[in-house]
Amino acid sequence: MATYGKHIQIGEPVLPAKGIEKALKAGALKDPRILAVLEDMGFPGIDWWTENMPERMVEVGIAEQNGAVVAGALAAEGFVPVIYSFLFANVGRALNQVRQSILVDRFNVKFIGREGAWGEVGISHNTIEGVGFSRVLPNLVILNPSDVVEAEKATEAMLQYHGPVLLRQESSPTPVRVFTDDYPFNIGKAYWVKEGSDATIIATGYMLTEAIAAIDLLEAEGLDVGILNMCTLKPLDVGAIIEASERSGAIVTAENASIIGGLGEGVAAVLAENLPAPMVRVGIEDEFSQSGLITPERDDLKIHFGLRAEDLVVSVKECIAKKERLRCRD
Amino acid sequence: MAHNDALVAELEAKSNKLRNHCFTQFCTFEQGHAGGTMSIVDVVTALYLHHIKFDAKDPDWPERDRVVMSKAHCCEAIYAALVELGVYPEETLGTYYCYGSPFQGHADRWSTAGIDYSGGSLGQGLSFAAGMAYAEKLKMILKPPGAEETFLPRYIKRFDPLYRSYCILGDGELHEGQVWEAAMFANKFKLDNLIAIVDYNKWSLDGPTNDVMPIEPLMDKWKAFGWWVTEIDGHDMGQILDALDLSNRMYGDNRPKCIIAHTVKGYGVSHWETRRMHLGRGEEMMKGVREGREKYGDVR
Repeated sequence: MATYGKHIQIGEPVLPAKGIEKALKAGALKDPRILAVLEDMGFPGIDWWTENMPERMVEVGIAEQNGAVVAGALAAEGFVPVIYSFLFANVGRALNQVRQSILVDRFNVKFIGREGAWGEVGISHNTIEGVGFSRVLPNLVILNPSDVVEAEKATEAMLQYHGPVLLRQESSPTPVRVFTDDYPFNIGKAYWVKEGSDATIIATGYMLTEAIAAIDLLEAEGLDVGILNMCTLKPLDVGAIIEASERSGAIVTAENASIIGGLGEGVAAVLAENLPAPMVRVGIEDEFSQSGLITPERDDLKIHFGLRAEDLVVSVKECIAKKERLRCRD
Repeated sequence: MAHNDALVAELEAKSNKLRNHCFTQFCTFEQGHAGGTMSIVDVVTALYLHHIKFDAKDPDWPERDRVVMSKAHCCEAIYAALVELGVYPEETLGTYYCYGSPFQGHADRWSTAGIDYSGGSLGQGLSFAAGMAYAEKLKMILKPPGAEETFLPRYIKRFDPLYRSYCILGDGELHEGQVWEAAMFANKFKLDNLIAIVDYNKWSLDGPTNDVMPIEPLMDKWKAFGWWVTEIDGHDMGQILDALDLSNRMYGDNRPKCIIAHTVKGYGVSHWETRRMHLGRGEEMMKGVREGREKYGDVR
């Protein structure tokens, strides 16, 4: 059996959305500045909000550009607006508005954006580019929680942080509960889920679930592979990435997003500038998604994109082979 | 209500002074958005030097009226007003466009005291002004921490809002769909503390605004979106003051206000007027500056 970090207790699948909803309610009760900005795409715990604080719900309709700028103005006046929608809408559709009317002045606006390769709704809504187009924006913190506990803690941290934050709520199969209740979450800090000397999987979001499943398969083959959970996609935890390179010398990144502009590229840049190590990036290759049902028995998209634990095992072994080749050359 | 002639004359003189301040800024790099700045100077003079609540000693005063320069490339006019009000010394005019200067190429909230909105990407200002107007209403309802002392005494008497939110729009930026998203938003939330002023100088960068993309019938458009609208000559100080006063007095009618100010691009400098100059550079610029300096008597 693999030995996991102190704050790891792997459980059943639970929707991260529950954690987000819980933290938002608790935050709103504590902090009267928090406003729910709706773009006709619902809101976590919308019934509770309607019943308990209707005056703090700002419905802007399907007009994300106006919504983003109005939120910027509300933040300029001291409120803490939380905009909920698909990431392609609340940030993507309003990208220039977010830049010009929120980030330039570092207004305290929070985004919760639903995004990921999975879903029945198809190519329009199963988007994978959000992390890429958001990471280039200055002043924006990006969080991508991996399970229900981290989702709750990340939402709480987002509301306490002063400045613009994007929290990505992934469209994916339901991730398993990984963290214990006393898991210490800090913006910008990665967490060692498991240490390992042969290779390290740096995982974010749902892919942590697949990474954990991959560990057992790898152990059966006698490989000691670590997992570093990277919730904050910007700013990346540079120290932890260098540590991963020192410990194992082979890095596999795993993300439910395009491998261009996402976690993989960020990690590659850190390694290249500090302590280069062979890498394999697991994620969505340069292509769009499509419709696909998610059931425990059948998940065509997971197979199509190569995001299963089995696929991770292949990538880890490929990465270890690269490391060996480098050693032989020396 | 007609304004007394003395006030009108005083503001007209101030307006010419502001023009001179603008010329000084244009000289720094022989460059600037001369056309749109000249067309809005009179309105800016009426707003900053007479109409709005603004404390030059405390430009962040929470109860100040908000002014969003949505056509932020014409911020030279606002900078001129800020100098005239004493927020910045006159020397600052000579640092326009310079690295580290409070007078940036486009209005920038963090660089300049007295600027409420960092603009430049057109079509967003009305949303921002509407957001601030809505925040004023929300502060009344939600009373966030600290609000009790500052705002509560005023809740009781609701003759006047805590602050009004003004937005200066260019006519060209009305092409942006977002302006009309904001117009719907302002109507939905009954933002009678929001006043939009359209600098209708009829010219955009590529040509006549109504050729580039027709915006007429403009008055009907605003009316259809539920706004109270009026049309004025944007270079007639008496009409500007009357429209602003009327929009104040209409407070409480649940309607956002729009003042369509008919103006002339490059107003007051014939060289710029005939060329409908958007962004002036080099000799084109300096020829106009020399003409303007002569006409307005270099009253710095």
